[in-house]
Amino acid sequence: MWKRDEAVRPPQPTSGNATSGTAEPSAIRTEATRQQERDMVNIGKSVVIKGELSGSEDLTIEGQVEGRIELKQNVLTIGPNGRIKAEIFAKSIVVQGEVHGNITASERADIRDNGSVDGDLSAPRIAIADGAHFRGSIDMQRTAGGTKPTVEHKGSDSKSSDKSPEHRSVVETKPAATVGSAAQPVSQTTVSPPVR
Amino acid sequence: MAELFKWSGRNRDDAAGSAPTPAAAETVTSSKVFQRFIAALTPRPSPVLLDLGPVVGANISFYGERLACKLYVEDLFAEIEAIHRRGAADTMSTALVERLHHGEASIDGILCWDLFDFLDRATGQAVAARLIKMLKAGGALHALFGTTAVELTHYTRFIVEADDSLRQRPYPATKVKRMVRQMGDINRLFDGLKGIESVLLKTSARETLFRK
Repeated sequence: MWKRDEAVRPPQPTSGNATSGTAEPSAIRTEATRQQERDMVNIGKSVVIKGELSGSEDLTIEGQVEGRIELKQNVLTIGPNGRIKAEIFAKSIVVQGEVHGNITASERADIRDNGSVDGDLSAPRIAIADGAHFRGSIDMQRTAGGTKPTVEHKGSDSKSSDKSPEHRSVVETKPAATVGSAAQPVSQTTVSPPVR
Repeated sequence: MAELFKWSGRNRDDAAGSAPTPAAAETVTSSKVFQRFIAALTPRPSPVLLDLGPVVGANISFYGERLACKLYVEDLFAEIEAIHRRGAADTMSTALVERLHHGEASIDGILCWDLFDFLDRATGQAVAARLIKMLKAGGALHALFGTTAVELTHYTRFIVEADDSLRQRPYPATKVKRMVRQMGDINRLFDGLKGIESVLLKTSARETLFRK
Protein backbone atom coordinates (compact mmCIF):
# COMPACT_ATOMS: atom_id res chain seq x y z
CA MET A 1 0.00 0.00 0.00
CA TRP A 2 2.84 2.36 0.76
CA LYS A 3 3.86 2.27 -2.85
CA ARG A 4 0.46 3.47 -3.96
CA ASP A 5 0.58 6.27 -1.46
CA GLU A 6 3.97 7.24 -2.77
CA ALA A 7 2.68 7.06 -6.32
CA VAL A 8 -0.06 9.60 -5.76
CA ARG A 9 1.87 11.85 -3.41
CA PRO A 10 2.70 15.20 -4.98
CA PRO A 11 6.40 15.83 -5.56
CA GLN A 12 8.20 17.06 -2.45
CA PRO A 13 10.05 20.33 -2.79
CA THR A 14 13.72 19.49 -3.02
CA SER A 15 16.49 21.40 -1.36
CA GLY A 16 19.23 23.01 -3.37
CA ASN A 17 21.74 20.47 -2.08
CA ALA A 18 19.81 17.53 -3.48
CA THR A 19 19.96 18.87 -7.01
CA SER A 20 23.30 20.62 -6.97
CA GLY A 21 26.50 19.06 -8.19
CA THR A 22 27.77 18.73 -4.61
CA ALA A 23 24.83 16.63 -3.46
CA GLU A 24 25.48 13.61 -1.25
CA PRO A 25 25.35 10.31 -3.20
CA SER A 26 22.77 8.97 -0.75
CA ALA A 27 20.60 12.03 -1.31
CA ILE A 28 20.82 11.53 -5.07
CA ARG A 29 19.93 7.89 -4.62
CA THR A 30 16.96 8.78 -2.44
CA GLU A 31 15.75 11.30 -4.98
CA ALA A 32 16.14 8.75 -7.77
CA THR A 33 14.21 6.20 -5.73
CA ARG A 34 11.45 8.70 -5.08
CA GLN A 35 11.28 9.55 -8.75
CA GLN A 36 11.08 5.86 -9.57
CA GLU A 37 8.30 5.37 -7.07
CA ARG A 38 6.41 8.34 -8.47
CA ASP A 39 6.72 6.84 -11.95
CA MET A 40 5.43 3.48 -10.77
CA VAL A 41 1.70 2.94 -11.06
CA ASN A 42 0.03 0.60 -8.63
CA ILE A 43 -3.27 -1.21 -8.73
CA GLY A 44 -4.06 -1.74 -5.08
CA LYS A 45 -5.21 -4.84 -3.25
CA SER A 46 -8.87 -3.89 -3.18
CA VAL A 47 -9.13 -3.04 -6.88
CA VAL A 48 -10.89 -5.46 -9.24
CA ILE A 49 -10.67 -4.90 -12.96
CA LYS A 50 -12.56 -6.93 -15.55
CA GLY A 51 -11.83 -6.13 -19.14
CA GLU A 52 -8.81 -4.88 -21.02
CA LEU A 53 -5.96 -3.08 -19.36
CA SER A 54 -3.33 -1.39 -21.48
CA GLY A 55 -0.78 1.35 -20.99
CA SER A 56 2.65 2.74 -21.70
CA GLU A 57 4.31 2.79 -18.31
CA ASP A 58 5.47 0.29 -15.73
CA LEU A 59 2.69 -1.15 -13.62
CA THR A 60 2.42 -3.10 -10.39
CA ILE A 61 -0.77 -5.04 -9.74
CA GLU A 62 -1.67 -6.05 -6.20
CA GLY A 63 -5.38 -6.43 -6.91
CA GLN A 64 -7.40 -8.64 -9.25
CA VAL A 65 -7.54 -8.39 -13.00
CA GLU A 66 -9.61 -10.54 -15.35
CA GLY A 67 -9.42 -10.14 -19.09
CA ARG A 68 -6.35 -8.94 -20.95
CA ILE A 69 -3.30 -6.91 -19.98
CA GLU A 70 -1.09 -5.19 -22.54
CA LEU A 71 2.01 -3.27 -21.57
CA LYS A 72 4.08 -4.11 -24.59
CA GLN A 73 6.84 -1.57 -23.94
CA ASN A 74 6.88 -1.76 -20.17
CA VAL A 75 7.45 -3.82 -17.07
CA LEU A 76 4.48 -5.50 -15.43
CA THR A 77 4.84 -6.71 -11.85
CA ILE A 78 2.23 -8.96 -10.32
CA GLY A 79 2.71 -8.32 -6.62
CA PRO A 80 2.37 -10.96 -3.89
CA ASN A 81 -1.30 -10.08 -3.48
CA GLY A 82 -2.02 -9.91 -7.21
CA ARG A 83 -4.57 -12.39 -8.61
CA ILE A 84 -4.70 -12.37 -12.38
CA LYS A 85 -6.93 -14.30 -14.78
CA ALA A 86 -5.80 -12.79 -18.00
CA GLU A 87 -3.78 -13.06 -21.14
CA ILE A 88 -0.71 -10.93 -20.51
CA PHE A 89 1.54 -9.17 -23.00
CA ALA A 90 4.42 -7.03 -21.71
CA LYS A 91 8.06 -6.25 -22.32
CA SER A 92 9.04 -7.73 -19.00
CA ILE A 93 6.93 -9.55 -16.43
CA VAL A 94 7.64 -10.32 -12.79
CA VAL A 95 5.23 -12.70 -11.06
CA GLN A 96 5.09 -12.76 -7.28
CA GLY A 97 1.37 -13.48 -7.01
CA GLU A 98 -0.97 -15.76 -8.97
CA VAL A 99 -1.53 -15.76 -12.69
CA HIS A 100 -4.01 -17.94 -14.56
CA GLY A 101 -3.52 -17.32 -18.24
CA ASN A 102 -0.92 -17.15 -20.92
CA ILE A 103 2.07 -14.84 -20.58
CA THR A 104 4.00 -13.37 -23.49
CA ALA A 105 7.01 -11.20 -22.72
CA SER A 106 9.14 -9.66 -25.44
CA GLU A 107 12.19 -9.46 -23.15
CA ARG A 108 11.93 -11.39 -19.92
CA ALA A 109 9.59 -13.33 -17.66
CA ASP A 110 10.49 -13.87 -14.04
CA ILE A 111 8.47 -16.14 -11.74
CA ARG A 112 9.66 -15.47 -8.23
CA ASP A 113 9.56 -17.65 -5.15
CA ASN A 114 5.88 -18.14 -4.18
CA GLY A 115 4.81 -16.86 -7.58
CA SER A 116 2.31 -19.09 -9.34
CA VAL A 117 1.58 -19.37 -13.05
CA ASP A 118 -0.98 -21.64 -14.67
CA GLY A 119 -0.67 -21.04 -18.36
CA ASP A 120 1.71 -20.94 -21.25
CA LEU A 121 4.86 -18.89 -21.00
CA SER A 122 6.65 -17.38 -23.96
CA ALA A 123 9.70 -15.16 -23.55
CA PRO A 124 13.30 -15.03 -24.76
CA ARG A 125 14.57 -14.89 -21.17
CA ILE A 126 12.88 -16.86 -18.43
CA ALA A 127 13.70 -17.10 -14.73
CA ILE A 128 11.81 -19.49 -12.48
CA ALA A 129 12.63 -19.71 -8.80
CA ASP A 130 12.45 -23.18 -7.27
CA GLY A 131 9.75 -22.15 -4.85
CA ALA A 132 7.56 -21.04 -7.72
CA HIS A 133 4.58 -22.98 -8.98
CA PHE A 134 4.31 -23.40 -12.72
CA ARG A 135 2.00 -25.47 -14.80
CA GLY A 136 1.77 -25.08 -18.53
CA SER A 137 4.16 -24.85 -21.40
CA ILE A 138 7.36 -22.91 -21.89
CA ASP A 139 8.15 -21.94 -25.43
CA MET A 140 11.89 -21.94 -25.88
CA GLN A 141 12.06 -22.31 -29.64
CA ARG A 142 14.93 -20.50 -31.29
CA THR A 143 14.08 -17.07 -32.61
CA ALA A 144 14.46 -16.17 -36.27
CA GLY A 145 17.71 -14.36 -35.47
CA GLY A 146 19.20 -17.61 -34.24
CA THR A 147 19.69 -16.43 -30.68
CA LYS A 148 19.13 -19.01 -28.02
CA PRO A 149 16.67 -18.36 -25.24
CA THR A 150 18.11 -17.83 -21.79
CA VAL A 151 16.60 -19.36 -18.72
CA GLU A 152 17.80 -18.52 -15.27
CA HIS A 153 17.53 -20.66 -12.21
CA LYS A 154 17.13 -19.15 -8.80
CA GLY A 155 16.63 -20.35 -5.26
CA SER A 156 16.79 -23.81 -3.82
CA ASP A 157 13.70 -24.46 -1.74
CA SER A 158 10.75 -26.32 -3.09
CA LYS A 159 7.20 -25.42 -2.37
CA SER A 160 5.52 -26.17 -5.64
CA SER A 161 4.41 -29.59 -4.53
CA ASP A 162 2.75 -28.16 -1.48
CA LYS A 163 0.36 -26.08 -3.50
CA SER A 164 -3.11 -27.46 -3.33
CA PRO A 165 -4.93 -28.21 -6.56
CA GLU A 166 -7.30 -25.39 -5.73
CA HIS A 167 -4.53 -23.04 -6.72
CA ARG A 168 -4.39 -24.50 -10.17
CA SER A 169 -6.61 -24.70 -13.18
CA VAL A 170 -6.28 -26.20 -16.61
CA VAL A 171 -3.19 -25.27 -18.58
CA GLU A 172 -5.06 -23.78 -21.46
CA THR A 173 -6.84 -21.24 -19.27
CA LYS A 174 -8.25 -18.52 -21.39
CA PRO A 175 -8.97 -15.18 -19.76
CA ALA A 176 -12.57 -14.22 -19.34
CA ALA A 177 -13.72 -11.59 -21.76
CA THR A 178 -16.55 -10.49 -19.52
CA VAL A 179 -16.96 -6.86 -18.82
CA GLY A 180 -18.07 -5.40 -15.53
CA SER A 181 -17.78 -6.53 -11.95
CA ALA A 182 -20.08 -6.48 -9.01
CA ALA A 183 -17.27 -5.21 -6.83
CA GLN A 184 -16.11 -2.44 -9.09
CA PRO A 185 -17.49 -2.37 -12.60
CA VAL A 186 -14.89 -1.17 -15.07
CA SER A 187 -15.47 -1.96 -18.71
CA GLN A 188 -12.14 -0.78 -19.99
CA THR A 189 -9.24 0.63 -18.08
CA THR A 190 -6.35 2.40 -19.65
CA VAL A 191 -3.42 3.11 -17.43
CA SER A 192 -2.86 6.80 -17.19
CA PRO A 193 0.01 8.76 -15.69
CA PRO A 194 -0.08 9.06 -11.91
CA VAL A 195 -1.55 12.12 -10.30
CA ARG A 196 1.22 14.39 -9.16
CA MET B 1 -8.88 -31.44 29.84
CA ALA B 2 -6.57 -34.45 30.02
CA GLU B 3 -8.93 -36.26 27.70
CA LEU B 4 -8.71 -33.37 25.31
CA PHE B 5 -4.92 -33.46 25.30
CA LYS B 6 -4.98 -37.21 24.90
CA TRP B 7 -7.37 -36.88 22.01
CA SER B 8 -5.29 -34.24 20.26
CA GLY B 9 -2.12 -36.23 20.96
CA ARG B 10 -3.58 -39.32 19.35
CA ASN B 11 -4.53 -37.33 16.32
CA ARG B 12 -1.03 -35.97 16.07
CA ASP B 13 0.35 -39.48 16.17
CA ASP B 14 -2.07 -40.66 13.52
CA ALA B 15 -1.20 -37.73 11.37
CA ALA B 16 2.49 -38.42 11.77
CA GLY B 17 1.92 -41.80 10.20
CA SER B 18 0.89 -40.28 6.91
CA ALA B 19 2.25 -36.77 7.05
CA PRO B 20 5.24 -35.72 5.01
CA THR B 21 8.56 -36.27 6.77
CA PRO B 22 11.50 -33.89 6.74
CA ALA B 23 13.62 -33.77 3.62
CA ALA B 24 16.69 -36.00 3.32
CA ALA B 25 20.05 -34.88 2.01
CA GLU B 26 20.50 -34.32 -1.70
CA THR B 27 22.84 -36.44 -3.77
CA VAL B 28 24.41 -36.35 -7.21
CA THR B 29 24.27 -39.48 -9.31
CA SER B 30 25.75 -40.25 -12.66
CA SER B 31 23.34 -41.06 -15.44
CA LYS B 32 24.13 -43.40 -18.27
CA VAL B 33 20.93 -43.05 -20.21
CA PHE B 34 19.89 -39.42 -19.96
CA GLN B 35 22.50 -38.36 -22.50
CA ARG B 36 21.04 -40.82 -24.97
CA PHE B 37 17.62 -39.33 -24.34
CA ILE B 38 18.98 -35.86 -25.13
CA ALA B 39 20.83 -37.20 -28.17
CA ALA B 40 17.60 -38.74 -29.44
CA LEU B 41 15.85 -35.38 -29.34
CA THR B 42 18.69 -33.16 -30.57
CA PRO B 43 18.22 -33.79 -34.32
CA ARG B 44 14.48 -33.18 -34.12
CA PRO B 45 13.49 -29.64 -35.13
CA SER B 46 11.81 -27.73 -32.28
CA PRO B 47 11.02 -30.81 -30.24
CA VAL B 48 8.18 -30.85 -27.73
CA LEU B 49 9.20 -32.11 -24.30
CA LEU B 50 6.92 -33.19 -21.47
CA ASP B 51 8.34 -33.12 -17.95
CA LEU B 52 6.19 -34.99 -15.42
CA GLY B 53 8.10 -33.64 -12.42
CA PRO B 54 8.09 -30.30 -10.64
CA VAL B 55 9.36 -27.27 -12.49
CA VAL B 56 13.10 -26.76 -12.06
CA GLY B 57 14.63 -23.57 -13.43
CA ALA B 58 18.01 -25.20 -14.07
CA ASN B 59 16.42 -27.94 -16.16
CA ILE B 60 14.50 -25.46 -18.25
CA SER B 61 17.78 -23.69 -18.86
CA PHE B 62 19.41 -26.96 -19.90
CA TYR B 63 16.61 -27.96 -22.27
CA GLY B 64 16.48 -24.48 -23.72
CA GLU B 65 20.18 -24.42 -24.49
CA ARG B 66 20.47 -27.98 -25.72
CA LEU B 67 17.19 -28.55 -27.48
CA ALA B 68 15.51 -25.15 -27.98
CA CYS B 69 12.34 -27.08 -27.37
CA LYS B 70 8.83 -26.34 -26.31
CA LEU B 71 8.44 -27.69 -22.81
CA TYR B 72 5.29 -28.76 -21.01
CA VAL B 73 5.49 -29.10 -17.25
CA GLU B 74 2.90 -31.39 -15.66
CA ASP B 75 3.91 -32.01 -12.08
CA LEU B 76 2.17 -35.33 -11.46
CA PHE B 77 3.92 -35.67 -8.11
CA ALA B 78 1.98 -32.66 -6.88
CA GLU B 79 -1.20 -34.32 -8.06
CA ILE B 80 -0.28 -37.59 -6.33
CA GLU B 81 0.48 -35.74 -3.11
CA ALA B 82 -2.80 -33.84 -3.26
CA ILE B 83 -4.71 -37.07 -3.83
CA HIS B 84 -3.02 -38.76 -0.87
CA ARG B 85 -3.78 -35.81 1.36
CA ARG B 86 -7.43 -35.97 0.32
CA GLY B 87 -7.41 -39.70 1.03
CA ALA B 88 -8.77 -40.33 -2.44
CA ALA B 89 -6.33 -42.92 -3.77
CA ASP B 90 -9.13 -44.61 -5.73
CA THR B 91 -9.32 -41.55 -8.00
CA MET B 92 -5.58 -41.55 -8.73
CA SER B 93 -5.72 -43.24 -12.11
CA THR B 94 -8.48 -41.02 -13.51
CA ALA B 95 -6.96 -37.84 -12.11
CA LEU B 96 -3.49 -38.49 -13.51
CA VAL B 97 -4.71 -39.53 -16.94
CA GLU B 98 -6.90 -36.42 -17.09
CA ARG B 99 -3.83 -34.30 -16.40
CA LEU B 100 -2.20 -35.78 -19.49
CA HIS B 101 -4.43 -33.93 -21.91
CA HIS B 102 -1.95 -33.58 -24.76
CA GLY B 103 -2.95 -34.89 -28.16
CA GLU B 104 -1.93 -38.22 -29.61
CA ALA B 105 1.53 -38.25 -31.19
CA SER B 106 2.19 -34.68 -30.06
CA ILE B 107 5.23 -35.12 -27.80
CA ASP B 108 8.82 -35.84 -28.83
CA GLY B 109 10.27 -36.58 -25.42
CA ILE B 110 8.82 -37.56 -22.03
CA LEU B 111 10.65 -37.37 -18.72
CA CYS B 112 8.97 -39.62 -16.17
CA TRP B 113 11.77 -39.56 -13.61
CA ASP B 114 10.76 -41.93 -10.74
CA LEU B 115 7.01 -41.39 -11.18
CA PHE B 116 6.09 -45.06 -11.50
CA ASP B 117 7.56 -45.88 -8.07
CA PHE B 118 4.57 -44.02 -6.62
CA LEU B 119 1.89 -45.64 -8.79
CA ASP B 120 0.19 -48.97 -8.18
CA ARG B 121 0.01 -51.50 -10.97
CA ALA B 122 -3.34 -50.38 -12.43
CA THR B 123 -2.60 -46.67 -12.23
CA GLY B 124 0.87 -47.17 -13.68
CA GLN B 125 -0.58 -49.09 -16.59
CA ALA B 126 -3.19 -46.41 -17.31
CA VAL B 127 -0.62 -43.60 -17.16
CA ALA B 128 1.88 -45.50 -19.29
CA ALA B 129 -0.78 -46.23 -21.93
CA ARG B 130 -1.59 -42.52 -22.12
CA LEU B 131 2.10 -41.58 -22.41
CA ILE B 132 2.62 -44.09 -25.22
CA LYS B 133 -0.28 -42.54 -27.14
CA MET B 134 1.08 -39.03 -26.68
CA LEU B 135 4.55 -39.91 -27.92
CA LYS B 136 5.38 -39.20 -31.57
CA ALA B 137 6.90 -41.90 -33.74
CA GLY B 138 10.62 -41.89 -32.97
CA GLY B 139 9.99 -40.07 -29.70
CA ALA B 140 11.87 -40.99 -26.51
CA LEU B 141 10.81 -41.70 -22.94
CA HIS B 142 13.20 -41.60 -20.00
CA ALA B 143 12.31 -43.16 -16.65
CA LEU B 144 13.86 -44.37 -13.41
CA PHE B 145 12.55 -47.31 -11.41
CA GLY B 146 13.48 -48.13 -7.83
CA THR B 147 14.42 -51.73 -7.20
CA THR B 148 13.98 -51.97 -3.44
CA ALA B 149 10.60 -52.30 -1.76
CA VAL B 150 10.87 -49.54 0.81
CA GLU B 151 8.55 -46.93 2.25
CA LEU B 152 8.95 -43.78 0.21
CA THR B 153 8.84 -40.69 2.37
CA HIS B 154 10.19 -38.26 -0.20
CA TYR B 155 9.67 -37.29 -3.76
CA THR B 156 12.80 -36.39 -5.66
CA ARG B 157 13.41 -33.28 -7.66
CA PHE B 158 15.87 -34.24 -10.42
CA ILE B 159 18.13 -31.38 -11.39
CA VAL B 160 20.09 -31.82 -14.58
CA GLU B 161 23.70 -30.82 -13.96
CA ALA B 162 25.08 -32.28 -17.17
CA ASP B 163 24.29 -34.92 -19.77
CA ASP B 164 25.58 -37.57 -17.42
CA SER B 165 24.85 -36.11 -14.02
CA LEU B 166 21.60 -35.63 -12.13
CA ARG B 167 21.33 -33.97 -8.75
CA GLN B 168 18.59 -35.52 -6.64
CA ARG B 169 16.96 -33.17 -4.20
CA PRO B 170 14.37 -34.85 -1.97
CA TYR B 171 11.29 -33.10 -0.71
CA PRO B 172 8.65 -34.44 1.65
CA ALA B 173 5.95 -36.80 0.54
CA THR B 174 3.10 -38.62 2.15
CA LYS B 175 4.46 -42.03 3.01
CA VAL B 176 3.75 -44.70 0.43
CA LYS B 177 5.26 -48.09 -0.32
CA ARG B 178 7.35 -48.13 -3.47
CA MET B 179 5.89 -50.12 -6.33
CA VAL B 180 8.83 -52.23 -7.43
CA ARG B 181 8.77 -53.39 -11.04
CA GLN B 182 11.05 -56.02 -12.47
CA MET B 183 12.48 -55.54 -15.95
CA GLY B 184 9.73 -57.70 -17.44
CA ASP B 185 7.07 -55.59 -15.70
CA ILE B 186 8.68 -52.42 -17.06
CA ASN B 187 8.71 -53.78 -20.59
CA ARG B 188 5.06 -54.81 -20.27
CA LEU B 189 4.23 -51.38 -18.86
CA PHE B 190 5.55 -49.75 -22.01
CA ASP B 191 4.34 -52.37 -24.43
CA GLY B 192 4.34 -50.62 -27.78
CA LEU B 193 7.64 -48.85 -27.17
CA LYS B 194 11.05 -50.25 -27.88
CA GLY B 195 13.43 -50.61 -24.97
CA ILE B 196 16.68 -48.99 -26.08
CA GLU B 197 18.73 -49.08 -22.92
CA SER B 198 18.34 -50.16 -19.33
CA VAL B 199 21.04 -49.59 -16.75
CA LEU B 200 21.14 -50.42 -13.06
CA LEU B 201 22.69 -47.42 -11.34
CA LYS B 202 24.80 -47.45 -8.19
CA THR B 203 21.79 -46.06 -6.36
CA SER B 204 19.97 -49.32 -7.19
CA ALA B 205 17.62 -47.42 -9.48
CA ARG B 206 17.03 -48.79 -12.96
CA GLU B 207 17.39 -46.11 -15.60
CA THR B 208 15.62 -46.84 -18.86
CA LEU B 209 15.16 -45.31 -22.28
CA PHE B 210 12.31 -46.24 -24.60
CA ARG B 211 11.68 -45.13 -28.17
CA LYS B 212 8.49 -45.28 -30.17
